[in-house]
Amino acid sequence: MPIKFKKLLYVKSVRIIIDRLWRDNPIFSMCLGVCSALAVTNKVENAIAMGVGVTFVLVASSVIISFLRKLISSRIRMIIYMVTISTFVIVVDRLLKAFFPSISEAIGPYIGLIITNCLIMGRADAFAIKNEVRYSALDGLASGIGYSYTLIIISIIREVLAFGSVLGMKVTPEWWTNWVVMAMAPGAFFVLSIFLWITRNMAKIQPEK
Amino acid sequence: MKKKISMILFVLILGSILTFVLIGVNYYTKPIIEKNEAIKIKSRVMDAFGISYNIDDIEKVFSENVKIETENNVKYYFTENNEISFEITGNGLWGPITGILALKPDLETIKGITLIHQEETPGLGGRIAEKEYLSSFKDKKIIPKLEIVSPGKAIKENEVDGITGATMTSKAFEELINNQAQKYISNLKRN
Repeated sequence: MPIKFKKLLYVKSVRIIIDRLWRDNPIFSMCLGVCSALAVTNKVENAIAMGVGVTFVLVASSVIISFLRKLISSRIRMIIYMVTISTFVIVVDRLLKAFFPSISEAIGPYIGLIITNCLIMGRADAFAIKNEVRYSALDGLASGIGYSYTLIIISIIREVLAFGSVLGMKVTPEWWTNWVVMAMAPGAFFVLSIFLWITRNMAKIQPEK
Repeated sequence: MKKKISMILFVLILGSILTFVLIGVNYYTKPIIEKNEAIKIKSRVMDAFGISYNIDDIEKVFSENVKIETENNVKYYFTENNEISFEITGNGLWGPITGILALKPDLETIKGITLIHQEETPGLGGRIAEKEYLSSFKDKKIIPKLEIVSPGKAIKENEVDGITGATMTSKAFEELINNQAQKYISNLKRN
């Protein structure tokens, strides 16, 4: 590896991006936001919309919390996170309803659940509260992208098996029988756990002893 | 003590600022959302009647083809051919379902059904909102009772296929349609 490139790996912002996308991926490494990864991944379209929504809320709340980090006393930090996060979730919900009514219809009930997505609270408490605004924004963005691509991969597997399509386009041959179980919660558990097993092995993530 | 007061103050101030942000967003999006809702209902009414339209001229086609009459706060939609439709609401398996039921002039045969809102499991019960499924209700008799039967078993003129893997949703939907149809049809016949 050229020395310049190696040095780049030690720059904080580059480190943040690479870690959030791979070694510290929110879903398969930190196991945060798993509930939504199970709930909305039966169609790729839903997974994309959820990913965009979560990424937006994550960046916005990380920036605000990081900006206010010197004013927030540790005893009230949780309530500050909740108030900030829920504000942005409501904003996302309203904007979707106004400008993308069809997506809002498809995943509307899950939008409210972004508030309870532990990923957002987790990043706020683990990172934004003690880091500068620019790093927090980057952390939010990278975590959001790491979360979204995992969701999209899982949803592609599930949509192909359950409906024989990707984004509504038919991809399977005529003789294909749809696996109804993949559209339901149990299918999500199977796919997610196999996915965790493979990716955690690939990323060489060891359980803490 | 001083620290506590400043903590409370901080929460209050941040809370009010964020509330103002929300008020602003609400003020800005409310008219758009209401317009979307109104257009959605109109388009679903026309879908139920089988009137074709383009996304850009929903309002125009609607006002040309459909008349609205209100009775006891219930809106009835009429076409030139005396077909009639109304909103149906009730409980699905997981949440409320609302839709539009259109009947032929004999008040017994279904002209079409469309859904406005449902919260059933995506991919299973949620398939009741699909056009292909809803079109299987066309020309079915709702008097004395519409029946949703096991998938592939519908033969009689008051029977419709259910959805594979969504028996409970199908049952709830059947009950909803029958209840609402009976209620509104008897209202209509009285007049």
